[in-house]
Amino acid sequence: MIKIALITCIVFAPLGAQEIKLPPNLDRLAAKATEVVDVTMDANLLQLASRFLSDKDPDDAHVKKIVGGLKGIYVRSFEFEKPGEYQESDIDSVRTQLHTPAWSRIVGVRSLKSGENSEVYLKTENGKIGGLAILVTEPKQLTIVSIEGTIDPDQLNELGGHFGIPKVDTRKETGHGKDQ
Amino acid sequence: MEDFERQLKYALARKPEPPAFEAKALAAIAAAKPERRMLWRWDALAASVLIAAGLWAQHQHGLSERAAGEAAKARLELALKITVTELSKIQKTVRTSTEDE
Repeated sequence: MIKIALITCIVFAPLGAQEIKLPPNLDRLAAKATEVVDVTMDANLLQLASRFLSDKDPDDAHVKKIVGGLKGIYVRSFEFEKPGEYQESDIDSVRTQLHTPAWSRIVGVRSLKSGENSEVYLKTENGKIGGLAILVTEPKQLTIVSIEGTIDPDQLNELGGHFGIPKVDTRKETGHGKDQ
Repeated sequence: MEDFERQLKYALARKPEPPAFEAKALAAIAAAKPERRMLWRWDALAASVLIAAGLWAQHQHGLSERAAGEAAKARLELALKITVTELSKIQKTVRTSTEDE
């Protein structure tokens, strides 16, 4: 049985929070991993990619709209052959950066059965979303996503079904007061 | 003074050209023409080479920029794919647990 803890909080945080800095020790994990995804895109690279997104293609145009407000996208994903190849302490510094007033943890999912722990954080600036961070730890997988800039999670959801992205079920939650 | 004036007048007086002067001058011009023509040819060749090199460099720059742009686009799509996939998984887990409860 899955035990889930959901934490919802809205914090109108002070401004001036810096972007999430991914610790260099993550690179060390790459040597142990069977699969590694390392995407680092700053504003310049995003701008370059954006120039190659067509305005005529609806999918490209949608992505272009999302990218327009972004300052950076950073993804580190590691898949290991067996459990125990990484420690929680490896991502402590990421969590520490997210435990600042600027960031709000909007979803926390912990499964004792599968050992999966997922967290979604949002950064608010002037009442608007200024960043999104996702931490997913599984026994054999670790994924960190950090997106800087103005982002609308609904726009991300709309990407489902395109570019090989699974279609997101956007049925509305009812009751329970849980946010996603 | 008169002597000086006479000398000056003599010096400035129009003298008939030496015999065959015209023929010599025309021969000299004719001899110089092929060289000048060759020079023009070299200039044109150098200009063509420069233009070709410029076009090639521009083409190469365009190719490398296109490759970099396409790579950036692919990375962007991969990053968005991972992001949406993880959000989708989390959403699904939350929904499942909500329905269980």
